[in-house]
Amino acid sequence: MATTTATITLGSADLLSDNLSLSSTTTLYDAGTTTGLTQYEMGKVVVPSSDTPSILIDATAAGDDKAARVYVANKNTDETHYVVISMNGTTIGRLYSGDWMFIPWSQTDVSADVEIYCPAALSTTCEVEYVVFHQGKTFTAA
Amino acid sequence: MATTTATITLTSSDISDNNVSITNLNFLNKAGSTTGLDKTSGLRRRTLTATTSVDLIQLDHFQETGEVITENKAAKVYIKNLGTSTAEHVKVCIGQEDASADTEEIGRLYGGDWMFFPWAAVWTSADHNDNEDIYVIPSSADSVTLEWIVIYE
Repeated sequence: MATTTATITLGSADLLSDNLSLSSTTTLYDAGTTTGLTQYEMGKVVVPSSDTPSILIDATAAGDDKAARVYVANKNTDETHYVVISMNGTTIGRLYSGDWMFIPWSQTDVSADVEIYCPAALSTTCEVEYVVFHQGKTFTAA
Repeated sequence: MATTTATITLTSSDISDNNVSITNLNFLNKAGSTTGLDKTSGLRRRTLTATTSVDLIQLDHFQETGEVITENKAAKVYIKNLGTSTAEHVKVCIGQEDASADTEEIGRLYGGDWMFFPWAAVWTSADHNDNEDIYVIPSSADSVTLEWIVIYE
């Protein structure tokens, strides 16, 4: 077992009339247990300019209804550049340059991939970093 | 304009031979600009006591109060399960109500878990069944409290 933690700090001095200061840490466990996740994959990719979503992280049967966690960050620096994140064809949202996201990932079926595209209208590519912490995956025969 | 930052730190000293240590600070800006997001739902809590689907973040609510979340922009959502049970979870889904084919389960928040993600917030009509709301479904009827905030434009 491993001990992996994820901490978020969300803060603003002027979004509200009083300070917003929120911090939370969670330990990444296997589903329904206090056993730490032991597997992860990470990478950096250049997402091509296209309006067709591609698979960033492939869902597999072994991950079905488990406790995977996904981190994705858009590493471009031009504030107008963004990628669109979707899952199973359902749009989640846009990650603009510098934005990151961290979500639990159920992989409810093998189509529940984490999908991404960098819109053609931007006429650019987008550098994206990602990490998935997981309980296991189905290997595909060579 | 407001200045709001979101920082994530992912660390592990034993998931592999070498430490995993990722830190990323982001300024929450409006879509395509360097101007900070300036609207928020405020930090809210909701306690659930049944295993039925609950429309946690309903776009119609924002529409009706005049605080429209502009769709396909840079809205961000934070949700935390304030429970302590690592055996029970709350499913977080996006899409139309009643677990229809158009609703996608993103993931499961066990006790203490949090998530932070961009939200397209696509509003289609005053019938909230047509909108890309955020739904939650507890795994147990035991009381569980969620904390959430939306920051948007």
